[in-house]
Amino acid sequence: MILRLPFTIRSTSLLHRRQIRSPSASAVSSSPTTTHSSFPPRPRPQTPLFLRPPAHSAARADLDAFRRWAKSIAITAAPRIAANGGPDADHLLRELSWLVQDATSRPEAAGEVRLRVGLEELYRLWRERIEERKPFQYVVGCEHWRDLVLAVREGVLIPRPETEMLVDMVARVEGFEEGLWADLGTGSGAIAVGIGRLLGEGGKVFATDLSPDAVEVARLNVERYGLKDKVEIRQGSWFEPLQDVKGKLAGLVSNPPYIPNSHISGLQAEVGWHEPRLALDGGKDGTDYLLHLCEGCASALKPGGFFAFETNGDKQSEFIADFMSTMWGNFFENVKIVSDFAGIKRFVTGFHR
Amino acid sequence: MAAGALFRWALLPSPKHLAPPLLRTPRSPLTFARIEAFSSSTSTTNSTTNYLRLTDEELMAQCDMDTFKASGPGGQHRNKRESAVRLKHRPTGIVAQAAEDRSQHKNRASAVARLRKLLALEVRKAIDLNDYTPPTELLQILPAKSTIRGSDVGPQIGPNNPKFAPGMQALLDLIYAVEGSVSEAAKILGLSTGALSRLILSDDSLRMSVNDLRTSKGMRPLK
Repeated sequence: MILRLPFTIRSTSLLHRRQIRSPSASAVSSSPTTTHSSFPPRPRPQTPLFLRPPAHSAARADLDAFRRWAKSIAITAAPRIAANGGPDADHLLRELSWLVQDATSRPEAAGEVRLRVGLEELYRLWRERIEERKPFQYVVGCEHWRDLVLAVREGVLIPRPETEMLVDMVARVEGFEEGLWADLGTGSGAIAVGIGRLLGEGGKVFATDLSPDAVEVARLNVERYGLKDKVEIRQGSWFEPLQDVKGKLAGLVSNPPYIPNSHISGLQAEVGWHEPRLALDGGKDGTDYLLHLCEGCASALKPGGFFAFETNGDKQSEFIADFMSTMWGNFFENVKIVSDFAGIKRFVTGFHR
Repeated sequence: MAAGALFRWALLPSPKHLAPPLLRTPRSPLTFARIEAFSSSTSTTNSTTNYLRLTDEELMAQCDMDTFKASGPGGQHRNKRESAVRLKHRPTGIVAQAAEDRSQHKNRASAVARLRKLLALEVRKAIDLNDYTPPTELLQILPAKSTIRGSDVGPQIGPNNPKFAPGMQALLDLIYAVEGSVSEAAKILGLSTGALSRLILSDDSLRMSVNDLRTSKGMRPLK
């Protein structure tokens, strides 16, 4: 297919080089600081697309031409992308309509469309999506999660639909509204913001993360939802920043890295090439951080306090649940496994005695 | 959810992986027979009448979200932005889905609201007309001028209110019992035929369901 473009987007040799890098080599070298070292330097991604001012404009016909081009490269690339565990053509076209949705502003004048990025940038964004397999959420800088629209960017795990359930589990705990909560390894702050919005006068969430990127993004999300009084972001590893509330927590939730080390190289390109390994890799069996959380819970929670952890599913949940009710049986009771909407045993929950 | 939105959505081409289509037609003879067989068993009659009284959570527990069954390990492994939700209600086989939102959470809520409406449209309960008192849910959707509607019933509930579905279900039970005769149903509900027609026409899915029944009985559809 011949694509006629009014301008050059980027040197294609660079894109090819990116594509032929094997996922495993790429994953090994992918840490938040090195992933993009092979790309031309450009300003740090900042404001999510949908929040930028509509400072650009384009003729409707030119936007339509973009759409046709974007659709054709998506359809051409879809079989290759889907074969590697990525989205199929239907998914990609839905993403394209969301990209245009986020990039355009209403109302539009006749024949003119107001845009939040230049048209040239729009072409570049869609190339990144298709050719570099950049996750759609990083392309637009946001993810729709529960009833929230959360800012996300490289270096921060994109919140998954499964994790939405953790907030519902917290909301079912008697008296949760007035308690002190912790979300460890908060990433974008999704769970903390979700809980924070449900809390009453006396309730509060402490959200910790080791990554400065995560801390920055989580703060942005907390501010956007006006929750600075309800959610406190603290930088540090797991329980370290929570010494002052030790033994006082009404509940503790976490979606820690849980993917077994050996599975990292086989991950879908969007995940393995672009998302922070720090947020995915759970060590040899994937349970390194889960076990650390189990242990820390014993002293962090107050009597009767609740915990809920997301796991890699099925066997890992069974292992953690068993560990909590035998090895740590003196500390915890009512340990349960909760399935996600796909029927995978995704969460382990329980209470401090 | 507005019925208009439901049908507008149903007209959109559905992504291939979401087949079968959103709406099962309540008007095929097969479905009708199933519904009759369904309501003749007392044990299931009891539970069918209660579906709409379940909370969203209880209703979800009776459903399979089978779009996600075949999608591998999920969780941190996957980024497919699979926000589309397809619910299959196990007891009735009714399928409701939603894909228009970017958040799976919101699509779940829309799918459950659609499921309630479809349950109201499709699950029939047999009525003994010799011993019939309209249930409160039905009284609540009637206009105030109904002579059997006491003042304690409260303001009329319109089609955009989620509480409309149980009233609609009870109204359809009655209209099926009188074999599609709007004038007869109107008499029982203390309304003029015109007033009941207007109520039926106020909701697209209710109108279609009544008209399909009337057409199958050789009557003229309401307009």
